Amino acid sequence: MIPLTWYLILSGILFSIGAVGVLIRRNAIVIFMCIELMLNAVNLAFITFSRQLNSMDGQIFVFFIMTVAAAEAAVGLAIIIAIYRNKATVNVDDINLMKW
Amino acid sequence: MLISYLPILILLLVVMGFAISNIIISALIGRHKPTAEKLSPYECGVEPIGSARERFSVKFYIIAMMFVIFDIEVVFLYPWAVAYKSLALFGLIEMAIFIIILLVGYVYIWKRGGFEWE
Amino acid sequence: MLESLLFLIMGSITIACALCVVFQKNPIYSAIFLIQTMVSLAVLYVLLHAQFIAAIQVMIYAGAIMVLFIFVIMLLNLSKADEEGERDNLFFQKPSAIILGFILVVMIGTVTLKTVFQGVKGEYTPETISQIGNTQLVGKMLFTKYVFPFEIASILLFAAIIGAIILAKKRIIED
Repeated sequence: MIPLTWYLILSGILFSIGAVGVLIRRNAIVIFMCIELMLNAVNLAFITFSRQLNSMDGQIFVFFIMTVAAAEAAVGLAIIIAIYRNKATVNVDDINLMKW
Repeated sequence: MLISYLPILILLLVVMGFAISNIIISALIGRHKPTAEKLSPYECGVEPIGSARERFSVKFYIIAMMFVIFDIEVVFLYPWAVAYKSLALFGLIEMAIFIIILLVGYVYIWKRGGFEWE
Repeated sequence: MLESLLFLIMGSITIACALCVVFQKNPIYSAIFLIQTMVSLAVLYVLLHAQFIAAIQVMIYAGAIMVLFIFVIMLLNLSKADEEGERDNLFFQKPSAIILGFILVVMIGTVTLKTVFQGVKGEYTPETISQIGNTQLVGKMLFTKYVFPFEIASILLFAAIIGAIILAKKRIIED
Protein backbone atom coordinates (compact mmCIF):
# COMPACT_ATOMS: atom_id res chain seq x y z
CA MET A 1 0.00 0.00 0.00
CA ILE A 2 1.51 3.31 -1.13
CA PRO A 3 1.06 6.24 1.25
CA LEU A 4 -1.50 8.62 -0.13
CA THR A 5 0.90 11.52 0.43
CA TRP A 6 2.78 10.36 -2.66
CA TYR A 7 -0.29 10.89 -4.77
CA LEU A 8 -0.68 14.37 -3.34
CA ILE A 9 2.94 15.20 -4.10
CA LEU A 10 2.51 13.87 -7.65
CA SER A 11 -0.54 16.07 -7.97
CA GLY A 12 1.46 19.06 -6.70
CA ILE A 13 4.24 18.40 -9.22
CA LEU A 14 1.73 18.14 -12.08
CA PHE A 15 0.07 21.37 -10.99
CA SER A 16 3.40 23.17 -10.88
CA ILE A 17 4.36 21.90 -14.33
CA GLY A 18 1.05 23.21 -15.65
CA ALA A 19 1.57 26.56 -13.97
CA VAL A 20 5.10 26.88 -15.39
CA GLY A 21 3.69 26.00 -18.82
CA VAL A 22 1.12 28.78 -18.58
CA LEU A 23 3.90 31.21 -17.69
CA ILE A 24 6.48 30.30 -20.33
CA ARG A 25 4.52 29.30 -23.43
CA ARG A 26 3.25 31.92 -25.85
CA ASN A 27 0.91 29.80 -27.95
CA ALA A 28 -2.67 30.23 -26.71
CA ILE A 29 -3.61 26.60 -27.43
CA VAL A 30 -0.63 25.23 -25.50
CA ILE A 31 -1.46 27.56 -22.61
CA PHE A 32 -4.96 26.12 -22.70
CA MET A 33 -3.55 22.58 -22.62
CA CYS A 34 -1.45 23.50 -19.59
CA ILE A 35 -4.64 24.68 -17.86
CA GLU A 36 -6.14 21.25 -18.58
CA LEU A 37 -3.03 19.75 -16.99
CA MET A 38 -3.62 21.79 -13.85
CA LEU A 39 -7.27 20.70 -13.77
CA ASN A 40 -6.09 17.09 -14.00
CA ALA A 41 -3.70 17.60 -11.09
CA VAL A 42 -6.56 18.91 -8.98
CA ASN A 43 -8.67 15.91 -10.02
CA LEU A 44 -5.93 13.59 -8.77
CA ALA A 45 -5.90 15.37 -5.41
CA PHE A 46 -9.70 15.07 -5.20
CA ILE A 47 -9.63 11.34 -5.89
CA THR A 48 -6.81 10.86 -3.37
CA PHE A 49 -8.76 12.58 -0.62
CA SER A 50 -11.88 10.66 -1.57
CA ARG A 51 -9.91 7.44 -1.05
CA GLN A 52 -8.31 8.73 2.14
CA LEU A 53 -11.61 9.71 3.74
CA ASN A 54 -13.57 6.73 2.39
CA SER A 55 -16.10 9.01 0.79
CA MET A 56 -17.57 9.24 -2.69
CA ASP A 57 -17.96 13.01 -2.78
CA GLY A 58 -14.51 13.59 -4.26
CA GLN A 59 -15.31 11.39 -7.21
CA ILE A 60 -18.56 13.26 -7.92
CA PHE A 61 -16.62 16.51 -7.78
CA VAL A 62 -14.18 15.17 -10.35
CA PHE A 63 -17.10 14.23 -12.55
CA PHE A 64 -18.37 17.79 -12.45
CA ILE A 65 -14.89 19.20 -13.02
CA MET A 66 -14.68 17.10 -16.18
CA THR A 67 -18.04 18.48 -17.35
CA VAL A 68 -16.86 22.02 -16.73
CA ALA A 69 -13.58 21.27 -18.51
CA ALA A 70 -15.45 20.03 -21.58
CA ALA A 71 -17.70 23.11 -21.69
CA GLU A 72 -14.66 25.31 -21.15
CA ALA A 73 -12.75 23.59 -23.95
CA ALA A 74 -15.67 24.02 -26.38
CA VAL A 75 -16.06 27.74 -25.70
CA GLY A 76 -12.37 28.51 -25.14
CA LEU A 77 -11.27 26.92 -28.39
CA ALA A 78 -14.09 28.74 -30.21
CA ILE A 79 -12.69 31.99 -28.78
CA ILE A 80 -9.21 31.04 -29.99
CA ILE A 81 -10.62 30.36 -33.47
CA ALA A 82 -12.41 33.72 -33.44
CA ILE A 83 -9.18 35.47 -32.40
CA TYR A 84 -7.28 33.69 -35.14
CA ARG A 85 -9.84 34.86 -37.69
CA ASN A 86 -9.40 38.46 -36.67
CA LYS A 87 -5.68 38.66 -36.01
CA ALA A 88 -4.26 35.59 -37.85
CA THR A 89 -2.20 34.64 -34.81
CA VAL A 90 -2.60 32.79 -31.54
CA ASN A 91 0.57 34.16 -29.99
CA VAL A 92 -0.51 35.77 -26.74
CA ASP A 93 2.11 38.52 -27.09
CA ASP A 94 0.21 39.82 -30.11
CA ILE A 95 -3.17 39.60 -28.41
CA ASN A 96 -2.63 42.21 -25.73
CA LEU A 97 -5.39 44.66 -26.53
CA MET A 98 -9.01 44.25 -25.57
CA LYS A 99 -10.25 45.93 -28.74
CA TRP A 100 -8.45 47.41 -31.72
CA MET B 1 -7.77 -6.56 -7.03
CA LEU B 2 -5.21 -5.54 -9.61
CA ILE B 3 -5.04 -9.09 -10.91
CA SER B 4 -8.38 -8.55 -12.67
CA TYR B 5 -6.63 -6.05 -14.96
CA LEU B 6 -4.20 -8.69 -16.21
CA PRO B 7 -6.01 -9.07 -19.59
CA ILE B 8 -5.53 -5.35 -20.25
CA LEU B 9 -1.81 -5.66 -19.54
CA ILE B 10 -1.54 -8.67 -21.84
CA LEU B 11 -3.42 -6.81 -24.59
CA LEU B 12 -1.13 -3.80 -24.14
CA LEU B 13 1.99 -5.93 -24.40
CA VAL B 14 0.69 -7.82 -27.44
CA VAL B 15 -0.26 -4.60 -29.24
CA MET B 16 3.02 -2.88 -28.45
CA GLY B 17 5.02 -5.98 -29.37
CA PHE B 18 3.14 -6.32 -32.66
CA ALA B 19 3.67 -2.71 -33.64
CA ILE B 20 7.35 -2.59 -32.66
CA SER B 21 8.19 -5.98 -34.20
CA ASN B 22 6.49 -4.98 -37.46
CA ILE B 23 8.55 -1.81 -37.71
CA ILE B 24 11.78 -3.65 -36.89
CA ILE B 25 11.11 -6.58 -39.22
CA SER B 26 10.15 -4.39 -42.17
CA ALA B 27 13.25 -2.26 -41.59
CA LEU B 28 15.46 -5.35 -41.47
CA ILE B 29 14.19 -7.50 -44.34
CA GLY B 30 12.45 -4.93 -46.57
CA ARG B 31 14.13 -3.56 -49.70
CA HIS B 32 14.78 0.16 -49.78
CA LYS B 33 14.83 1.73 -53.23
CA PRO B 34 13.09 5.10 -52.82
CA THR B 35 12.06 7.00 -55.95
CA ALA B 36 10.23 10.29 -56.25
CA GLU B 37 7.06 8.50 -57.30
CA LYS B 38 7.17 6.14 -54.32
CA LEU B 39 7.76 8.91 -51.81
CA SER B 40 4.86 11.09 -52.98
CA PRO B 41 1.80 10.82 -50.73
CA TYR B 42 -0.76 8.26 -51.83
CA GLU B 43 -4.10 9.86 -52.67
CA CYS B 44 -6.17 6.99 -54.00
CA GLY B 45 -4.29 7.06 -57.31
CA VAL B 46 -5.02 10.72 -58.06
CA GLU B 47 -2.12 13.11 -58.58
CA PRO B 48 -1.56 15.03 -55.32
CA ILE B 49 -2.58 18.69 -55.55
CA GLY B 50 -0.51 20.86 -53.24
CA SER B 51 0.45 20.16 -49.65
CA ALA B 52 -1.74 18.25 -47.21
CA ARG B 53 -0.80 20.74 -44.48
CA GLU B 54 -3.54 23.17 -45.32
CA ARG B 55 -5.99 24.77 -43.00
CA PHE B 56 -9.24 22.91 -42.59
CA SER B 57 -12.63 24.52 -42.60
CA VAL B 58 -14.16 25.74 -39.36
CA LYS B 59 -17.19 23.55 -40.12
CA PHE B 60 -15.24 20.61 -38.74
CA TYR B 61 -14.89 22.41 -35.42
CA ILE B 62 -18.65 22.65 -34.97
CA ILE B 63 -18.99 18.90 -35.51
CA ALA B 64 -16.23 18.17 -32.98
CA MET B 65 -17.74 20.58 -30.47
CA MET B 66 -21.16 18.93 -30.72
CA PHE B 67 -19.50 15.56 -30.30
CA VAL B 68 -17.84 16.67 -27.04
CA ILE B 69 -21.01 18.18 -25.57
CA PHE B 70 -23.22 15.20 -26.36
CA ASP B 71 -20.49 12.81 -25.27
CA ILE B 72 -20.73 14.38 -21.83
CA GLU B 73 -24.49 13.92 -21.93
CA VAL B 74 -24.07 10.21 -22.67
CA VAL B 75 -21.49 9.86 -19.88
CA PHE B 76 -24.07 11.23 -17.45
CA LEU B 77 -26.45 8.53 -18.64
CA TYR B 78 -24.15 5.67 -17.57
CA PRO B 79 -24.36 6.06 -13.75
CA TRP B 80 -28.08 6.76 -14.08
CA ALA B 81 -28.63 3.56 -16.06
CA VAL B 82 -26.64 1.52 -13.55
CA ALA B 83 -28.39 2.95 -10.48
CA TYR B 84 -31.80 3.17 -12.16
CA LYS B 85 -33.55 0.56 -10.00
CA SER B 86 -32.84 2.28 -6.71
CA LEU B 87 -33.70 5.72 -8.07
CA ALA B 88 -37.02 4.77 -9.66
CA LEU B 89 -39.33 7.56 -10.86
CA PHE B 90 -37.34 10.37 -9.21
CA GLY B 91 -34.26 9.54 -11.27
CA LEU B 92 -36.34 9.30 -14.43
CA ILE B 93 -37.75 12.80 -13.94
CA GLU B 94 -34.31 14.25 -13.17
CA MET B 95 -32.88 12.69 -16.28
CA ALA B 96 -35.84 13.90 -18.33
CA ILE B 97 -35.19 17.50 -17.23
CA PHE B 98 -31.49 17.10 -18.02
CA ILE B 99 -32.15 15.74 -21.48
CA ILE B 100 -34.86 18.29 -22.29
CA ILE B 101 -32.50 21.17 -21.47
CA LEU B 102 -29.87 19.70 -23.76
CA LEU B 103 -32.52 19.02 -26.39
CA VAL B 104 -33.24 22.75 -26.45
CA GLY B 105 -29.56 23.24 -27.22
CA TYR B 106 -29.80 20.63 -29.95
CA VAL B 107 -32.77 22.41 -31.53
CA TYR B 108 -30.83 25.66 -31.28
CA ILE B 109 -27.91 24.17 -33.24
CA TRP B 110 -30.36 22.81 -35.77
CA LYS B 111 -32.17 26.14 -36.26
CA ARG B 112 -28.89 27.97 -36.44
CA GLY B 113 -27.77 25.74 -39.29
CA GLY B 114 -25.08 23.89 -37.38
CA PHE B 115 -25.86 20.67 -39.19
CA GLU B 116 -25.79 22.15 -42.66
CA TRP B 117 -22.51 21.87 -44.45
CA GLU B 118 -22.77 24.86 -46.76
CA MET C 1 4.22 -4.33 -3.87
CA LEU C 2 2.66 -4.54 -7.33
CA GLU C 3 0.72 -1.39 -6.61
CA SER C 4 3.82 0.55 -5.56
CA LEU C 5 5.62 -0.55 -8.70
CA LEU C 6 2.67 0.48 -10.88
CA PHE C 7 2.45 3.81 -9.07
CA LEU C 8 6.13 4.53 -9.60
CA ILE C 9 6.00 3.62 -13.31
CA MET C 10 2.80 5.53 -14.01
CA GLY C 11 3.80 8.50 -11.86
CA SER C 12 7.08 8.90 -13.70
CA ILE C 13 5.36 8.51 -17.10
CA THR C 14 2.85 11.17 -16.06
CA ILE C 15 5.53 13.64 -14.98
CA ALA C 16 7.71 12.98 -18.04
CA CYS C 17 4.77 13.48 -20.42
CA ALA C 18 3.64 16.60 -18.55
CA LEU C 19 7.12 18.06 -18.95
CA CYS C 20 7.00 17.20 -22.66
CA VAL C 21 3.66 19.02 -22.97
CA VAL C 22 5.29 22.18 -21.71
CA PHE C 23 8.63 21.95 -23.50
CA GLN C 24 7.65 20.62 -26.95
CA LYS C 25 7.87 23.23 -29.68
CA ASN C 26 5.17 21.71 -31.91
CA PRO C 27 1.65 21.99 -30.41
CA ILE C 28 0.58 18.69 -31.96
CA TYR C 29 3.28 16.85 -29.98
CA SER C 30 2.16 18.69 -26.86
CA ALA C 31 -1.39 17.46 -27.45
CA ILE C 32 -0.26 13.84 -27.96
CA PHE C 33 1.80 13.94 -24.76
CA LEU C 34 -1.15 15.43 -22.90
CA ILE C 35 -3.26 12.45 -24.01
CA GLN C 36 -0.64 10.08 -22.59
CA THR C 37 -0.61 12.09 -19.34
CA MET C 38 -4.36 11.67 -19.03
CA VAL C 39 -4.29 7.94 -19.77
CA SER C 40 -1.62 7.31 -17.14
CA LEU C 41 -3.62 9.40 -14.67
CA ALA C 42 -6.54 7.06 -15.40
CA VAL C 43 -4.35 4.14 -14.28
CA LEU C 44 -3.63 6.00 -11.04
CA TYR C 45 -7.38 6.48 -10.53
CA VAL C 46 -7.83 2.73 -10.85
CA LEU C 47 -5.16 2.28 -8.15
CA LEU C 48 -7.21 4.62 -5.95
CA HIS C 49 -10.36 2.49 -6.43
CA ALA C 50 -12.13 5.02 -8.64
CA GLN C 51 -12.82 2.81 -11.64
CA PHE C 52 -15.71 4.84 -13.03
CA ILE C 53 -13.72 8.05 -12.94
CA ALA C 54 -10.83 6.25 -14.64
CA ALA C 55 -13.15 5.14 -17.44
CA ILE C 56 -14.63 8.59 -18.00
CA GLN C 57 -11.17 10.13 -17.77
CA VAL C 58 -10.22 8.11 -20.84
CA MET C 59 -13.57 8.77 -22.52
CA ILE C 60 -14.00 12.49 -21.88
CA TYR C 61 -10.49 13.82 -21.51
CA ALA C 62 -8.41 11.57 -23.73
CA GLY C 63 -11.25 10.77 -26.12
CA ALA C 64 -13.28 13.93 -26.53
CA ILE C 65 -11.56 17.04 -25.22
CA MET C 66 -8.20 16.21 -26.75
CA VAL C 67 -9.87 15.44 -30.08
CA LEU C 68 -11.22 18.98 -29.98
CA PHE C 69 -7.75 20.36 -29.22
CA ILE C 70 -6.13 18.43 -32.08
CA PHE C 71 -8.95 19.55 -34.39
CA VAL C 72 -8.25 23.17 -33.59
CA ILE C 73 -4.49 22.77 -34.00
CA MET C 74 -5.12 21.17 -37.41
CA LEU C 75 -7.73 23.81 -38.22
CA LEU C 76 -5.35 26.69 -37.59
CA ASN C 77 -2.31 24.80 -38.95
CA LEU C 78 -0.07 26.17 -36.27
CA SER C 79 2.95 23.89 -36.46
CA LYS C 80 4.91 26.26 -38.70
CA ALA C 81 3.62 29.55 -37.35
CA ASP C 82 4.46 28.57 -33.80
CA GLU C 83 8.21 28.18 -34.33
CA GLU C 84 8.74 31.72 -35.50
CA GLY C 85 6.16 33.05 -33.07
CA GLU C 86 8.01 31.60 -30.08
CA ARG C 87 10.16 34.65 -29.53
CA ASP C 88 11.13 35.98 -26.14
CA ASN C 89 9.86 39.43 -25.43
CA LEU C 90 10.85 39.11 -21.80
CA PHE C 91 14.23 37.39 -21.64
CA PHE C 92 14.05 36.69 -17.90
CA GLN C 93 10.57 35.17 -18.17
CA LYS C 94 11.53 31.52 -18.74
CA PRO C 95 14.17 31.13 -16.00
CA SER C 96 12.15 32.98 -13.41
CA ALA C 97 9.03 30.94 -14.26
CA ILE C 98 10.98 27.70 -13.84
CA ILE C 99 12.47 28.85 -10.52
CA LEU C 100 9.02 29.84 -9.27
CA GLY C 101 7.71 26.44 -10.39
CA PHE C 102 10.40 24.71 -8.33
CA ILE C 103 9.51 26.85 -5.33
CA LEU C 104 5.85 25.88 -5.81
CA VAL C 105 6.76 22.16 -5.88
CA VAL C 106 8.84 22.49 -2.72
CA MET C 107 6.09 24.41 -0.96
CA ILE C 108 3.36 21.93 -1.87
CA GLY C 109 5.68 19.07 -0.93
CA THR C 110 6.52 20.41 2.51
CA VAL C 111 2.92 21.28 3.24
CA THR C 112 1.69 17.80 2.28
CA LEU C 113 4.50 16.05 4.16
CA LYS C 114 4.05 18.11 7.32
CA THR C 115 0.27 17.92 7.45
CA VAL C 116 -1.48 15.03 9.10
CA PHE C 117 -4.68 14.66 7.12
CA GLN C 118 -7.50 14.07 9.52
CA GLY C 119 -11.13 14.12 8.70
CA VAL C 120 -14.37 12.40 9.36
CA LYS C 121 -14.07 9.06 7.64
CA GLY C 122 -16.98 8.23 5.40
CA GLU C 123 -18.74 4.92 5.07
CA TYR C 124 -17.42 3.93 1.65
CA THR C 125 -14.33 1.84 2.28
CA PRO C 126 -12.84 0.06 -0.74
CA GLU C 127 -14.52 -3.14 0.41
CA THR C 128 -18.02 -1.64 0.42
CA ILE C 129 -17.33 0.08 -2.88
CA SER C 130 -16.33 -3.18 -4.52
CA GLN C 131 -19.39 -4.84 -2.99
CA ILE C 132 -21.95 -2.33 -4.28
CA GLY C 133 -19.98 -1.24 -7.33
CA ASN C 134 -18.25 2.04 -8.00
CA THR C 135 -20.56 3.16 -10.81
CA GLN C 136 -23.69 2.34 -8.79
CA LEU C 137 -22.42 4.47 -5.92
CA VAL C 138 -21.56 7.36 -8.22
CA GLY C 139 -25.06 7.12 -9.72
CA LYS C 140 -26.72 7.02 -6.33
CA MET C 141 -24.78 10.02 -5.03
CA LEU C 142 -25.19 11.96 -8.26
CA PHE C 143 -28.96 11.59 -8.35
CA THR C 144 -29.70 12.06 -4.66
CA LYS C 145 -27.20 14.27 -2.87
CA TYR C 146 -25.96 16.13 -5.94
CA VAL C 147 -29.22 16.55 -7.88
CA PHE C 148 -28.96 20.30 -8.10
CA PRO C 149 -25.38 20.45 -9.44
CA PHE C 150 -26.39 17.77 -11.93
CA GLU C 151 -29.20 19.88 -13.34
CA ILE C 152 -26.95 22.95 -13.32
CA ALA C 153 -24.46 20.93 -15.37
CA SER C 154 -27.04 20.60 -18.13
CA ILE C 155 -27.53 24.38 -18.19
CA LEU C 156 -23.75 24.80 -18.31
CA LEU C 157 -23.53 22.48 -21.31
CA PHE C 158 -26.41 24.37 -22.94
CA ALA C 159 -24.54 27.64 -22.45
CA ALA C 160 -21.43 26.04 -23.91
CA ILE C 161 -23.38 24.98 -27.02
CA ILE C 162 -24.75 28.48 -27.57
CA GLY C 163 -21.41 30.17 -26.91
CA ALA C 164 -19.43 27.92 -29.18
CA ILE C 165 -21.97 28.13 -32.01
CA ILE C 166 -22.12 31.91 -31.84
CA LEU C 167 -18.35 32.25 -31.80
CA ALA C 168 -17.61 29.68 -34.48
CA LYS C 169 -20.45 30.38 -36.90
CA LYS C 170 -19.98 34.09 -37.11
CA ARG C 171 -20.56 34.26 -40.83
CA ILE C 172 -24.13 33.04 -40.53
CA ILE C 173 -25.01 35.92 -38.24
CA GLU C 174 -23.67 38.44 -40.72
CA ASP C 175 -25.61 36.94 -43.64
